[in-house]
Amino acid sequence: MWRQVRSLRTVTGKPQLVSFVGAAPAVSAGGATRSLLRVAMSIRWLSVVSIALALAVWQVLNALRVVSPDLVPGPTAVARTFVDILVHGYRGTTLLQDILATLYRVAAAFVLASILGIPLGLAMGYNRWIRAAFDYVVQLTRPLPPLSYYILLIVWLGTGNSSKIALLYLTAFPILVIDTMAGVRATPIQKIQAAQALGANEWQIFRYVILPSALPMIFSGMSIAMAVTFSTVVAAELLAASDGLGWMVFSASKFLRNDVIIMTIIVLGLLGVCLTRVIRALDKHVIHWRGVE
Amino acid sequence: MANPSPIKTYSAEVIEKAPQRTAPVLHTFRLVLGRFTVERWITLAVFGLMFAGWQFVSTSGMVSEVVLPTPAAAWSGFWDLVDNGYHGWTLAGHARLSLQRVSLGFLTGSFVGTMLGLAMGYDRRIKDFFDPLIEFFRQLPQLAYLVLLIVWFGIGDRAQITLLFLTALPVASVAAMDGVRSTSIQRLQAARSLGANGWQVFRYVVLPSTLPEIFTGARLAIGVVYATVIAAEMIGGSAGLGWMILNAGELLRPDYVVVGIIILGILGLLLDRLIVGIERRVVHWAGRT
Repeated sequence: MWRQVRSLRTVTGKPQLVSFVGAAPAVSAGGATRSLLRVAMSIRWLSVVSIALALAVWQVLNALRVVSPDLVPGPTAVARTFVDILVHGYRGTTLLQDILATLYRVAAAFVLASILGIPLGLAMGYNRWIRAAFDYVVQLTRPLPPLSYYILLIVWLGTGNSSKIALLYLTAFPILVIDTMAGVRATPIQKIQAAQALGANEWQIFRYVILPSALPMIFSGMSIAMAVTFSTVVAAELLAASDGLGWMVFSASKFLRNDVIIMTIIVLGLLGVCLTRVIRALDKHVIHWRGVE
Repeated sequence: MANPSPIKTYSAEVIEKAPQRTAPVLHTFRLVLGRFTVERWITLAVFGLMFAGWQFVSTSGMVSEVVLPTPAAAWSGFWDLVDNGYHGWTLAGHARLSLQRVSLGFLTGSFVGTMLGLAMGYDRRIKDFFDPLIEFFRQLPQLAYLVLLIVWFGIGDRAQITLLFLTALPVASVAAMDGVRSTSIQRLQAARSLGANGWQVFRYVVLPSTLPEIFTGARLAIGVVYATVIAAEMIGGSAGLGWMILNAGELLRPDYVVVGIIILGILGLLLDRLIVGIERRVVHWAGRT
């Protein structure tokens, strides 16, 4: 967009007032300097500045005692807590243990929902009888806030891992089904007709035409489902758990350990970014033709 | 006329007499039946089967009443809630509290988020500056910072609405930013060459082509905000539908829980339809360009 606007200004003949960080052309630079410059230009400096600025403001506010350090501990205190928990653990669990407990719940539910949800979505997109049978059931569960039925699951399955995995499974399942179905139904009819005209049988059409054209939608459903599952697992762990990152936040709040809370929030944010990256990498690997068509 | 067209007189007669011949009740009945295709019958059959399964399992004595209420118990639980309310609030009062939080958090969050997103889409430097923060908040489970907000603001509406504001903001801003960035360059160039100034290009080219994306973002945001308010009320609330469900569950009143879940489903559906309805009115040209 920015480049577009810039080129527009040159088109209209107005003086080019635009200049942004990193865009200055490297005029007289040797090979080594030029490649160094290229690396420097590829980093989004303003992003680095904004993160540094946020940390600096946080530190200064803390140093000036604007709010009590018990309420908002400073970045150094949080870093110290991080090292402390990394070494000594938190109330009998190590940080890695808690991270793995949370990830295990997410992964188990997500894999289960994918194994059951994606084939059902494919079938619903392909066959209108199957779609008629399940469409409304799935559509009606989608607007339900996931936590609303968690208490029922606790009554049925107890407070252990099974009720959490069931909850996360029910959260991811409708999203995967609906997006997969939409992907199948968005297959261009021309492609199917072309394959038919070339003599493909029903299975071949499904395997080589419908499935590839549904894959991008399936992956976008997977990334949405992953994000929702990840935020739901933390909520579930806040309500009833004895390990996991959500439990850490909950337990720290009981002891007014705001440094632990902030540290866990940062860990959670980074973990969320990582999970999204994993799905995106998988997407790129499988749908290598994206953007080529 | 020796040989009048028989068809003409016949059709005229039918048209004249038609209203008297079909009773309105029968007419509507036929209309409804006519819309019942095989698909609809299958859908109905599945729902019927599910309901029958619920009725059978809950009345057969296989599971206790505490674990799964019968449909009749849920129905009487609903009227009980309507008549007597729950812990000092009527059922409508709980629903109003939750919806108030949703609308306040959603409106403020998506307004600020959309403005920020428009700016981020328009200027690369603003995008680079805010991107890390937005991306971080978007990936972060919302409930994680609820605890912190409760410590800062205390249990009550302030912490909840701040949470919902922070939930809606990144969703709305990412959608608006994507919308601005996907404005077609040809349209921009056309407007420029016709002599539009910066504000005019924004108002008449960028904004209209961004609106569908903004509404997609609003739909996503209200869904997330709605799911978050229920979770937030469960974790740190003293009233509202989410709190009601959790409290009823802890007191082993599954009939109230089931009623609460059904009400939440209906409200969620209505909120989504509301946004879609507004979108249809505002973006009336959608699908026609």
